[in-house]
Amino acid sequence: MDYFLHILILICIYIILASSLNLISGYTGLLSISHAAFYGIGAYVAALMSLRLESNFLLNILCAIIISGIFGAIVGFPSLRIRDDYFVIATFAFQIITFSILNNLTSFTGGPMGLPGIPQPVLFGLKISSHEQFLLLVGFFTVCVFLICRRIVISPFGRVLKTIREDEVFAAASGKNVAFYKVMIFVIGAGMAAIAGSMYAYYISFIDPTSFTVMESIFIISIVIIGGAGSLWGPVVGAIVLVALPEVLRFLGMPSSIAANMRQIIYGALLVVFMMWRPQGFMGEYSFTKDTSNE
Amino acid sequence: MTQVLANILISASIICLVGIGFSIIFVSHRFFNLSFAIIFTIGAYLTLLFHLTNGIPLIFAVALSIIISCIINIVLELLVFFPLKRKKVSANVLLITSLGIYIIMQNLISISFGDSIQNIQPGRRYNIFNIYEAKTTSIQILTIILCIIFMSFSIILFKKARIGKKIRAIASDLNLSRISGINIKNVIFNTVIIGSMFASFAGILFALDVNMTPTMGMNILMMGIVAMIIGGVGSIPGIALGSLFLAFAQNFGVWKISSQWQDAIAFGILLVFLIFRPQGFLGKKIKKATV
Repeated sequence: MDYFLHILILICIYIILASSLNLISGYTGLLSISHAAFYGIGAYVAALMSLRLESNFLLNILCAIIISGIFGAIVGFPSLRIRDDYFVIATFAFQIITFSILNNLTSFTGGPMGLPGIPQPVLFGLKISSHEQFLLLVGFFTVCVFLICRRIVISPFGRVLKTIREDEVFAAASGKNVAFYKVMIFVIGAGMAAIAGSMYAYYISFIDPTSFTVMESIFIISIVIIGGAGSLWGPVVGAIVLVALPEVLRFLGMPSSIAANMRQIIYGALLVVFMMWRPQGFMGEYSFTKDTSNE
Repeated sequence: MTQVLANILISASIICLVGIGFSIIFVSHRFFNLSFAIIFTIGAYLTLLFHLTNGIPLIFAVALSIIISCIINIVLELLVFFPLKRKKVSANVLLITSLGIYIIMQNLISISFGDSIQNIQPGRRYNIFNIYEAKTTSIQILTIILCIIFMSFSIILFKKARIGKKIRAIASDLNLSRISGINIKNVIFNTVIIGSMFASFAGILFALDVNMTPTMGMNILMMGIVAMIIGGVGSIPGIALGSLFLAFAQNFGVWKISSQWQDAIAFGILLVFLIFRPQGFLGKKIKKATV
């Protein structure tokens, strides 16, 4: 039973991650391979604060959101000058630098040894320790993130994001401050990823840099792409499918020595297949191609 | 001090080979083909398979692996990228697809060869030369010489040969070159063959000099891409300059700080260039870097 709950908690964490990346990549059209970096920054801020300062759980999450959001602004800024695949390479660079700092700044982040013994969160005097309680907590945050995403998407703010995705020059010509919107959505997305990060840190109670690698970023963008970029339910579907699928394979008797590789092969293959035949994913509306005829 | 200089030259040579190989493909494809990263790894692992497991002499093993890498890349091109391009998809779609291919192939190599560090010639010591107190092995000297040969070859190819002119034509205007009767498919095939040759060769040299892991391809390719961007896309002297600069920064960083920060230094430089001078040292202005 605990195993089942564990999978559900992981699915919730990935729904938060994918939904927030969906705001950036699916709605605004800024493909980014740096989400694991924000996820990691959130996890490390929350973990370090609860270990060093022993501060309150909610305060830690708030700080994680703010600090990750600041980094989001830093990554969003280059999107004003560079576009498309050049921007992807820039986000890739940020991801690698972040991983390198987490891995090498041993005195501060613990380096490859990670940060063990993160205390269990205490919420209004109630200690959250069992899987059920964690699922409730993570589920609550997932629903919050989902509702915020929905609110953003149906608001005028969200319409401007979609306009930037479809035609940036048109958005600018209509008097919208494109730079502000681009940086802002990165701040929001990075902040939400930090929520997922701190949830992960509290849940596993041990974090190390290998959870926040480039491959993790690629996995998160795969969820968005396969589930469907630019749709609210897409990341939810994608997270359920991509997190649950390897577990299903495990039940079918795949040897554990190649399980990790098979998991990656599966989502690599899914990426290729979807890009070739259904680039908008299961239920998306954005297929990463603008129908401009000038190129 | 001379040792540091020698190290800079050696790593610059490898990066330069990769950068040139990638940029030949990049200018004709016009997207970041990350599946290219696996060609390095495949080249090295096939050499391992042929030489160590089947006992084929090293030279033949290398030649055979290079040919097979070219074939693999051409098959990928035919099966995946041509059909996609016919649909006129964006560079992002192509990039994601190539990433998917890279993930699949890298994990296939992991499953069949294992994740551990391997060596093509385990236990073999190369002759060591002392040049002005700098210790270099024969394979490192070979790397530098080959890099210079390949570089001059590709400069001639780009500037003088017909195929080079066609590649440049495609790079500057796809539609116009199609109208002028250039067989685009043919040119792209040629670039794929030349690029894969460079790539698998660089991979094998790297594996001979250091060692290999299934994930090494992406690291090498990223260094090549960084060199290409900071040097200037489409300019071979630019790539040489870029890889020298990158190797200098990395080795200087190792000398002064610590070897762990190599990646962070390289990508930090890349970010600075992307933001402030996206066309690099010697490149022309690029469309994707302006609004």
